[in-house]
Amino acid sequence: MSDIDNSSRPLVEVRDLRKYFEATHGLLRKVVGTVKAVDGVSFSIQQGETLALVGESGCGKTTTGRCLIRAVDPSAGSIRYSFDNADPIDIATVDKHQLRELRRSIRLMFQDPYSSLNPRMTVFQIISEPLLINKLVQNQSEARDRVQSLLQMVHLNPNKMDRYPHAFSGGQRQRIAIARALAPKPRFLIADEPVSALDVSVQAQVLNLLKDLQHELRGLTYLFVAHNLSVVKYQSDRVAIMYVGKIVELTVTEELFLTPKHPYTEALISAAPDPEPRAVRRKKRIVLAGEVANPADPPSGCYFHPRCRYAKDVCRTTEPPLRDIGTAQQPHQVACHFAEELTLRGIE
Amino acid sequence: MATETADDVLSVHDLKSYFFSREGTLRAIDGLSFNLKAGKVLGIAGESGCGKSVTAQSILRILPRHGKTVSGQVLLTRDGKVTDLLALGEESSEIRRIRGKEIAMIFQEPMTSFSPVHTIGDQIIETIRLHRGLSKAQARASAIEILESVGMPHPSRTIDEYPFNLSGGMRQRAMIAMALSCNPRVLIADEPTTAVDVTIQAQVLELIRQMQAQLGMAVIMITHDLGVIAELADHVLIMYLGRGVEFGSVEQIFHNPKHPYTRGLLASIPKLQKGHTLVEPIKGAVPNPYDAPAGCPFHPRCPQFMQGTCEVTMPQVVEVEPGHWVACHLYGGEDQR
Repeated sequence: MSDIDNSSRPLVEVRDLRKYFEATHGLLRKVVGTVKAVDGVSFSIQQGETLALVGESGCGKTTTGRCLIRAVDPSAGSIRYSFDNADPIDIATVDKHQLRELRRSIRLMFQDPYSSLNPRMTVFQIISEPLLINKLVQNQSEARDRVQSLLQMVHLNPNKMDRYPHAFSGGQRQRIAIARALAPKPRFLIADEPVSALDVSVQAQVLNLLKDLQHELRGLTYLFVAHNLSVVKYQSDRVAIMYVGKIVELTVTEELFLTPKHPYTEALISAAPDPEPRAVRRKKRIVLAGEVANPADPPSGCYFHPRCRYAKDVCRTTEPPLRDIGTAQQPHQVACHFAEELTLRGIE
Repeated sequence: MATETADDVLSVHDLKSYFFSREGTLRAIDGLSFNLKAGKVLGIAGESGCGKSVTAQSILRILPRHGKTVSGQVLLTRDGKVTDLLALGEESSEIRRIRGKEIAMIFQEPMTSFSPVHTIGDQIIETIRLHRGLSKAQARASAIEILESVGMPHPSRTIDEYPFNLSGGMRQRAMIAMALSCNPRVLIADEPTTAVDVTIQAQVLELIRQMQAQLGMAVIMITHDLGVIAELADHVLIMYLGRGVEFGSVEQIFHNPKHPYTRGLLASIPKLQKGHTLVEPIKGAVPNPYDAPAGCPFHPRCPQFMQGTCEVTMPQVVEVEPGHWVACHLYGGEDQR
């Protein structure tokens, strides 16, 4: 596991983050509704930690990640970020000048390395661009030196820095994307599905690289946005499960997988196909009925109740708050009325 | 791979399908053999470019225009009668009777495989009338029944919906309904759950399993996801660069893998079991199929590469234990068990 610094205040502290999109209709773009993509999300991330945001499509995990770097402007809430141990700033309200500085410290990396790298730029240009824009290098030769060491860091041959992305495989391209992200020496990397576009045999190359880099560059912090639970279990220290714009469960990885407390988490774990023929045939799979609720028209009460096999009357009327049912050493946040009473099944 | 038995519904022999383009010849499938037993599920797994989708297209004779099956046999057994699909014309009336009726297919993205300008009902009814010769009213009743059996909510209403009005999971159900509408002997499912979320994936897999048991059809499940294979398949074929590298029962493949590629694949995926904390990637990447390596196509990435053998000759397919076949020089000698 990584070197997590629990002593001081968190690197990132998100409080009641909301992002509402307006749904419009027709030529005059009349507002017909509000899509609550992110609806009151709170979490914090310690320096050196990997927090995973997990959920199905449309749950708001990507939008949350984008709010953290202000790629989209949040509708409400605060995102306190501790810049170089100075007093935290609120990312949700910083001005343009600060934002530029911030984006040196917080970096975003994308799912598909076939579309995220400009095909008309060489690898050198791709990786050195953030260095030159931020004036982190004085001249070209210094830039080449930096790119060379960055390529070595991601285990790519530096002699190939004048080639174009098409000359590289998917896994290599994703390593180029990592080198670019890490070029301005950030402290916080938001990785949005970084391996889901890769072949299975090379996914592990990228996962292990991200882990090794966290170890090498002490204090590098990840927000890992993903849908694949096996990958999340392998990669993260803590996991937040999202459903229709809200966090429904958040705790340390092992606890979440061994003793899930939210029925949605239990169903997700049960639904994940595991490459283990005997194990999967032994367990009786929980197949959730229906589909993820529409965030423009969510159900009453607990958003999960129409699909929940444990739902009772109170679930239909009252929304459960996210509350801590863990211990002081091991907080375990869950938003379910019956979290204490239910005995849910995790991994074996 | 695999010995022929009387209960084979489909058997593929030395299939070769090539694509011809300006860059050269792409040997998408280069000598593939396997058998599908009646009522069983065969999982075909491999990474991008291994030829798993082209295998399905070759069986149904629906390769894209610049692709051609250059040799081999695809034998379909129906009530004791054997037909070589490769001997039929691509546009012949006989292959048209087989497509959809005897061998049906479901695709990864139902949005692109349904016609967007017809209702799903019209498309299912068309299939039923073509193959089963029912009247329009009978076909409609039958379509509603099938939609109901695949768990479509309000089938008598959804039958008149257009594909774009349905969610991804519902479209996949409609696709399955269409494939099953003529009670096929063989269902080919090409990455049927890759485009849907994990809880919907569980629904779709459960549905395929139920329908398979109920209708007793044989299924070819093509996927890159070994988890899906472990869950559904009775037998597994692992492909790499247009060739079958290993074939066996699901237990043999997952608990006693022989080919270094199969072992590498299994070691490279994180697992959900307790205490599983190490994954080991396969070095390198899948080579460009236009420029496939000589000898064993896996040799540049193989941790057990043997100089002087692997890069020179193509390994023979060897039966290492009953029903378990491997194409690897490690098992190639005479004194193998």
